Amino acid sequence: MAGWIILGIFVLGILWLIVIYNGLIAKRNDVQGSWKQIDVQLNRRHDLIPNLVSTVKGALEFEQDTLEKVISARAKAVGATGPQSKAEAENMLTQALGKLFAVMENYPDLKSNQNVMQLQEELTSTENRIAFARQLYNDLVANYRTALQVFPSNFVSSMFNFRTEEYFEAPAETKAVPAVNLSIRK
Amino acid sequence: MPLTFIDIERQKNWRIVLFFLVLMALYLLAAALFFAALLPGPLSAEPRFWVFLVIAAALTASIHFWFSASNAVDTVVRRLNAQPPDLKDDVHRMFANIIQELHVVTGAKRNIRCAVIPSLSLNALAAADLKGNAVIAITEGLLSRLSRPQVEAVVAHEAHHILSGDCLETTVAASIFGTFSSAMEKVRYSSSNRLFASPAFLLAWVLLQLGYLVNLFISREREYRADAAAVRMTRNPLALAETLHFLSRGWRGAGFIGSGFEMLCIVNPVATTLDETEGFLPDLLSTHPPIKKRLEILLQMARVSITELDANAERRSGRKGTDAQERYFVMSPARLWQGPFTAGELDALPWLSPLTWVANGKGKTAERAWKDPLLNTIFLRRLAGDGRIESGFTCPVCKQPLVTAAYEGTQIVQCGFCAGTLVENGRIPRIIARTGRERPCTERLNALARSVLQQNQARNIYRKVAARGAGQVPLLPCPKCKNPMFRGFYSTAHLIEVDRCSNCGLTWFDQDELEMLQCLIENRLLPDITVAVKD
Repeated sequence: MAGWIILGIFVLGILWLIVIYNGLIAKRNDVQGSWKQIDVQLNRRHDLIPNLVSTVKGALEFEQDTLEKVISARAKAVGATGPQSKAEAENMLTQALGKLFAVMENYPDLKSNQNVMQLQEELTSTENRIAFARQLYNDLVANYRTALQVFPSNFVSSMFNFRTEEYFEAPAETKAVPAVNLSIRK
Repeated sequence: MPLTFIDIERQKNWRIVLFFLVLMALYLLAAALFFAALLPGPLSAEPRFWVFLVIAAALTASIHFWFSASNAVDTVVRRLNAQPPDLKDDVHRMFANIIQELHVVTGAKRNIRCAVIPSLSLNALAAADLKGNAVIAITEGLLSRLSRPQVEAVVAHEAHHILSGDCLETTVAASIFGTFSSAMEKVRYSSSNRLFASPAFLLAWVLLQLGYLVNLFISREREYRADAAAVRMTRNPLALAETLHFLSRGWRGAGFIGSGFEMLCIVNPVATTLDETEGFLPDLLSTHPPIKKRLEILLQMARVSITELDANAERRSGRKGTDAQERYFVMSPARLWQGPFTAGELDALPWLSPLTWVANGKGKTAERAWKDPLLNTIFLRRLAGDGRIESGFTCPVCKQPLVTAAYEGTQIVQCGFCAGTLVENGRIPRIIARTGRERPCTERLNALARSVLQQNQARNIYRKVAARGAGQVPLLPCPKCKNPMFRGFYSTAHLIEVDRCSNCGLTWFDQDELEMLQCLIENRLLPDITVAVKD
């Protein structure tokens, strides 16, 4: 009788282990999948930039410097390898694009050009998608980390050597303290 | 507790189950009484009749329940006539893009359709059903008045409703009670007085009113939660605050968005005092929290005061007024005023020249087009587009740059708009001598020259008789030295009026005058001397 009970507990334990293990695997795959999603969106941006540059080149004759920066930043971002240098190159590209959009504001001709407006909308959308993909990645990492660390699944994670995943960090300059508006509220 | 979209996905709400049960019971009762009202006969029938009735009602109700609730998204979309966004339209494309972005941030766990409601009202709604379909719909009016960040905020708000599941309960309630209330209204219109007065009908009506108790289960809290989730996704509390502020002052679709759909919307289409008050009873009965309260919370996140928001909105609408392009009215060659045109549209008019009369929309008097600096840029661009060489002179009539042109083998300077010609005095004999080499004297030119000659002859005699000097028409400035040019006939034998600058040795011919002079000399045209002299 006692043997049956022990066997039962043992089987239950195995089942519990399988459930926890599978759950962790699923979460880890979610995290990795969402990391790939960021890459997909970054590539989308790389593909759009040459179109934009060639469309606005004629009108932005006196802004060749800004355009050059965008082109070179894109080239760097495409060629970058390794997460660290890649993140840096992408941030450079984001800044260069922001500068270009600011410059384009001064050209009413461009604003009335439907082609340019469509490209700009696509790029804005892509910027958003990149930000959202990172947001999703961080959410999933938080989810995964919690699963790794809570009792009792932390036994399973240490038993099978589940490694923790890193958060995506925001670039340093965007971490600046936001300006506080001290105007009197009603 | 952080409200990530993953957490929202996981939330299992016991309220949904309870809600369905209560809804079912309410619906069954209402349906039973509805049947009782339709059937003739005494209400005090034997109990077996009532049992049968309740069972029949339960059956039809559950069938109805399933059909209306399982396909609720389609029902809502059909009843509002919402259309999928037109991807060739810039604004619609932006909306579709934002929905795609939404799928990125939620990890594409749920497929959400998007639709545009063809109405000028300002509202947005979300619907979800038992089959797992979900839709976010925005009215055309709201979509075209919001900026991109604001549309993002609206979409994020609605997405939270869908993902958290509270959209499901509202949609089911809306579809069931929406169809029920429309059925009630039909009966009321078509039935006789007897039916309307029947106590069963009154009871059914009371039950319908009780249906609003469904609102009890739709707490106001979820709107706050959705606002919070929208801010979390877009990181832009100000955009949502601006949207709500804007919505609070516009037509939100009362009358267009049918009753029963109120609880799906981002703001209640019908503005009621109940919605805008707080307390136990309003909290219980109203589906939407006060916009004022929602604004306050959002503005605290953004650290902006409501007065600042108000001022911003004012400034934006004010700027729109002045920033809007100036409108012009122009006189067409047929001497008809046309307009209003923007500067860009004027550019497309082929007959627009520096001499066209133009009045801008601010009630200014009509002026020649060249006096407007903005319109002048149009002419400049046209010239540049033609690839002609500027001579450095300006046309004395339309003040546009003159361009050099080849004429009878020599160089002259011409205006591209009024077709006036500036010739160095030394070149005129050459041109006259070469008449017919490149441009023969056409019939038109001959006729024109003859009539001008006649007219000028008459004027010449008349002027001598009346001893009146020239000068009714202001003298033109010399294109080179800007001094007024002397106006007179080319010679006493060739009565073509020209403007000369003796300083610079230049002669200005208006349109066709040079050609007429050539024909005059070539064909030896002479004025008719027997012209009548007026006393």
